[in-house]
Amino acid sequence: MPAAFVDFQCGRTIDCKQGAVRAVRYNVDGSYCLSCGSDKKVKLWNPASGLLLKTYGGHADEVTDVSGSCDSNHIVSSSLDRSIIYWDVSTGLPVRRLRSHAGGVRCVRFNEDSSIAISGGRDNAVMCWDIRTRRLEPVQVMKEARDCITTVLTNDHKIFAASLDGCVRHYDIRVGEMTCDKIGEPVTYLALTRDEQCLVAGCQDSVVRLLDCSTGELLNEYKGHQADDYHIECGIMASDAQVVAGSSEGCAYVWDLLEGKVVQRITISDNGGVVHSLATHPKRQELLFARRRDIYVYSTDVEIIVEEI
Amino acid sequence: MDEDEHLHRFGTPLEPLDKDEVPAKKPLAIEDQIVKDENGKRRFHGAFTGGFSAGFWNTVGSLEGWTPQNFKSSRGEKAAKVQQRPEDFMDKEDLGEFGIAPQGIRTRDEFSKETEEDRAGQRKRKLMQPNLDGPIPGAPVLEQLLRPVRDKVAVRILKSMGWKPGQGVGPRQTRKEKQQATTRNKREQYLLEHYGTEGLQTKEDREGDAANGNDDDNEEDEDDEEITFAPDDYEPVFYTPKDNRFGMSYTGLSRAPVLSKGTAPAAPMQHINLFGNLEASSKNKKLSIRGQAFGVGAFEEEDEDIYARDDMTSYDFSLGDKQAKKKKAQYVQQKNVIDGFSEDKSGASCQTAFSIDLPRDYRPRNWLQRRSRFAPIDENRARHLAKDTEYKKAGLGRHDLDPEQRAKLLGEETVATEEQAQQEQQQPKKNPFKTATSNERCKSLLERISAKSDNFTRGGLITATGEEQSAPKTQAPEVPLSTDVQQSNAELLEKAAAKTKDLPSGTPKNGFKPFLGDEAKQQRYEKFLEANLKDDGEITKLLSDMQPVTLSLWDREMEKKEFIQAAKIYKPLAGLMLDRFVSEATVEEVKKEEKAKPADQRKIIMERTKAMWKPCAQLCKRYNIAEPFGGAMLEPPKEMNKRPKISIFDYLETSVNTKANFKTPSIIPQHIVPPKPQVAELPQSSISVEKQAPDVESNMATGSAKIEDIKHSPALSITKPTFVPKTALEQAVEASKNKHISEKTDLFKSIFDDSDEEEATPAMAQTAPEDRLAEMKAALGLPGSSNAAAVNLLRNNSPPRGVFAAFFTEPATDEPKSVPKKAPKFEPIPGNQLKIAYKSREERLKNDKELAMADVPAENLYGPRLPTPQATTTSPTTAPIVIAEANIDAKLQQLWQKHAPKKRKIEKWVERKLSTDDDSEDSSSTGSSSSHDSTAPSKSKRSKKTHKSSSKKSKKHKEKSKKKSKKRDKSAHKSKKKKSKR
Repeated sequence: MPAAFVDFQCGRTIDCKQGAVRAVRYNVDGSYCLSCGSDKKVKLWNPASGLLLKTYGGHADEVTDVSGSCDSNHIVSSSLDRSIIYWDVSTGLPVRRLRSHAGGVRCVRFNEDSSIAISGGRDNAVMCWDIRTRRLEPVQVMKEARDCITTVLTNDHKIFAASLDGCVRHYDIRVGEMTCDKIGEPVTYLALTRDEQCLVAGCQDSVVRLLDCSTGELLNEYKGHQADDYHIECGIMASDAQVVAGSSEGCAYVWDLLEGKVVQRITISDNGGVVHSLATHPKRQELLFARRRDIYVYSTDVEIIVEEI
Repeated sequence: MDEDEHLHRFGTPLEPLDKDEVPAKKPLAIEDQIVKDENGKRRFHGAFTGGFSAGFWNTVGSLEGWTPQNFKSSRGEKAAKVQQRPEDFMDKEDLGEFGIAPQGIRTRDEFSKETEEDRAGQRKRKLMQPNLDGPIPGAPVLEQLLRPVRDKVAVRILKSMGWKPGQGVGPRQTRKEKQQATTRNKREQYLLEHYGTEGLQTKEDREGDAANGNDDDNEEDEDDEEITFAPDDYEPVFYTPKDNRFGMSYTGLSRAPVLSKGTAPAAPMQHINLFGNLEASSKNKKLSIRGQAFGVGAFEEEDEDIYARDDMTSYDFSLGDKQAKKKKAQYVQQKNVIDGFSEDKSGASCQTAFSIDLPRDYRPRNWLQRRSRFAPIDENRARHLAKDTEYKKAGLGRHDLDPEQRAKLLGEETVATEEQAQQEQQQPKKNPFKTATSNERCKSLLERISAKSDNFTRGGLITATGEEQSAPKTQAPEVPLSTDVQQSNAELLEKAAAKTKDLPSGTPKNGFKPFLGDEAKQQRYEKFLEANLKDDGEITKLLSDMQPVTLSLWDREMEKKEFIQAAKIYKPLAGLMLDRFVSEATVEEVKKEEKAKPADQRKIIMERTKAMWKPCAQLCKRYNIAEPFGGAMLEPPKEMNKRPKISIFDYLETSVNTKANFKTPSIIPQHIVPPKPQVAELPQSSISVEKQAPDVESNMATGSAKIEDIKHSPALSITKPTFVPKTALEQAVEASKNKHISEKTDLFKSIFDDSDEEEATPAMAQTAPEDRLAEMKAALGLPGSSNAAAVNLLRNNSPPRGVFAAFFTEPATDEPKSVPKKAPKFEPIPGNQLKIAYKSREERLKNDKELAMADVPAENLYGPRLPTPQATTTSPTTAPIVIAEANIDAKLQQLWQKHAPKKRKIEKWVERKLSTDDDSEDSSSTGSSSSHDSTAPSKSKRSKKTHKSSSKKSKKHKEKSKKKSKKRDKSAHKSKKKKSKR
């Protein structure tokens, strides 16, 4: 979108009251958000109003990642207790607890029709779980990675897995091929552009990189933030125009996708705190940041949110 | 009402039946009441059946039967008066408890205890005689009231001895004694009350107490020495032997109910028989069931212990009359026991007190007696202590050594004079390591050990001075070293010193000398290490320059391998560690460097690698994507450990002495001669038949050659010595040699999946072609008519007629007419049954053929025909057989191609075939060889040829056969088994 960039403004701050927020995620249409706490619970929020809708308790250790199904009926969450829980949204009860990872599970994601949950863990394995059946074993395990899996992504025919071994692996189901793009720096987070042509990879060396899916080329680099030793997440806006990444000094950076220049430095907090997790709204210019115990909702036009309320 | 009036009643009416009441059993009629003796035998019988019970079971016989008594002449005993006793005329029952002359021991009247009842009874009996004299009839009242007092006998005796009631029993005591006794008794009583019998003090203590008492009353003593008193009466203490392992005076909780009647703890538990009727009180003729399970009924008067807990021990868990047994036991027991007593069952009296053998040097210690800390210690102990702490006084002995000794211990260089060295050499010391000179000591221990062990294995001897010598030099190690030997030793030492000197210390090659035994080799090795080559070719080149010309090619290769291995193994530890660890300083440095480098400079080079990846079917299904390549992708081979881990076992595995290293130069034995069958077991009659064996054999060989031609493409004909590429299976075997067992499952599968085929093939070679066909069919699971024939020998072999003809016409065309009828091959030969029925293969073959031939014309015959040894079945018969064989084989092949699974590769088939042919040849050769043995003089030329050809063939496939030998052995074994089954 060639339209001029409008600065993000803080719409709402939500105190999650669940310890440190490990991850924050939008649901499929961006009307709700989920937060994972270090108190082993997942909370469902209305980000616009800041209303707590439900709490999902059942994990035995910190929840690391969460993903909502396409019909918003189910949630799948991963935890350091090495299990993945498939939740029923309305009842708040765990439907299935999937255990096969040898280490803590770092990330989990539904596929497009939410029939498969893909998880990646500290055991260097990516596992695909068939949610439709009652099988408790993964249908497929990919163990190519040499280090922790930090993010898994999927589209209609590919599974992407970012690992700390500095590689982004594409598992193409259609072709039956595994493509490994070696960046050389530990990849802490991965985001897919809307057109599914590029990947945004947040690296440990405080650089966010834009990779071309088809060729594996490095298209752009976005610098300025500080990653330090944190698993800083990055994201791409729904318009595919901006790249966002958190920073360890309590702020977030927004870059222009094409030019690679910092468009905005969002100061989330003056007194530090790592902005490690963020989520981009699937449709609007809206962002969610997680810092310490709080979730911050940022939007280009605060009015919309206000209207919704 | 009216009816009642009209009724007339006679007799007294019975009491109306209670509702609860169960009608009592019909009373036994008098005639049914049987008197039985204690054994349950009927005692009285009807007049016709013997009357009174007599003899053995109312017979005159005995258990053994009626046996007349041996006649015993009483002629000599007539004079002697035989005393006959009344018992001789009595029955056993009469002598019993209730008989007329009971045999049990009883107290006599005077001594029996006089209970009220007894008295009354006696009196009654006495009073039975009516006293008619008195004015009042009946028993005299006064006499009843005034009963004579009668003491027990013991009391009477005591009284006669001067005892009076209230006194104690025993000798009279002085006052002092009595006082002691009373105190003692009091204490005993007290202890008894509080601690039971076990808590009592021992006798010695009491004596001691008595002594104490003595001291107190010493003065008064003398006054009343003469006055004596009777001792006090007191209950003596009974000591009960301890029969449990509880603590002192402990008794477990009684299982008797707490609330039961007063005698509860003492009374034994009532036994409840679960299988018997529950106690039914006959009171008021009311049947009321009482018991723990039912609680207390409202109508029951007794307020029984309803809270009593049931104990399962009081129940029976099996049907069986326990009481009957008890009764019997009681009866027996009472025989020799006086009334009121019972036999001691515990056997306590028989128990012997166990004496404890104390250790010889045991000294009892009174823990209450304490000794002063400052008292001198016991002598023995003092000595012990001194011994134990001797080393403390001596210290570590460090200070006792002079600097030289210390230097020696530490292995420092001493400024040793020549004399000293000589002295050292002249004194043969026992420890080889200590005697070595300083230079020698500089060498590492490992080195010396390795050197020694190296020589040790060659039979050298380690002499007293620690140097190794070859065996011939020193015959007896015990003999003191001669001067020249010593000189040689010195020379050796010098050499070693020189060697160690010129090597710069600290370098890794200095550390180990694996080839110290061979100096030249060691030098070569050092050079090899210096060169530090990686490429195999370069190493060989380097070594070939150094190695002497005399070294054979094999030795060179060996040496190279040894060197490489040695370099691997004898890598010094420091080097190993250096590979794996980095000092922190370097890490810091690297970090600094990295930081110094700006981020821009670090160029990110994207690398893209692609690999096959098979998504599983389910995943594809869920993603709504067709499986790539229609799901025909190969499963990725599982890799165990990509990352090499340094482990000691790696070295072990790749040591010089692995099989793989030795494989190339080894000479493969040309032909493994199979064990010859025992000729002695062959029946003599079979020799005549076997004379023709070679001919048949040769025919077979040619036949099989033909078969080969038919079967295989010309390129792979057997006559040409072609290189046959390894089959997939062989490759798999090769590949999996170093693999983990768990990974070999595929290999095993591939081996055993087609094992039936493998089993079948060698068998095919050995059996007649007809059999082969049948087998093949069986293996393929075809409905082979031959199978049916084999199963059922009585089956009608005539061609099918009528409706069945239609069924069986089709297979008939496919098969040869001469379907073999499988006669039992190991049928015992008539007239020779004791011997093992062994027949040569040819014979069996022939039999089969005969049977097959005979089958066609003789339709009416059933069962196998006995083999008739025909002396003239030579070439005219065998030639057509061969042709037939060829035909059959062609058919067989067709059949195979028709039914064989498609995935089987032709190449594989060829390979297998070759091997099996080889096999068959082998087996045939063995067979022929056996026949040769038996008919050694009449060996024909042809047979020789065949043998040779077969051996040639076997040579050709020598390698392969070697590799497969194991497998083949197995298959051959199996086929043999099969044969024997048939």
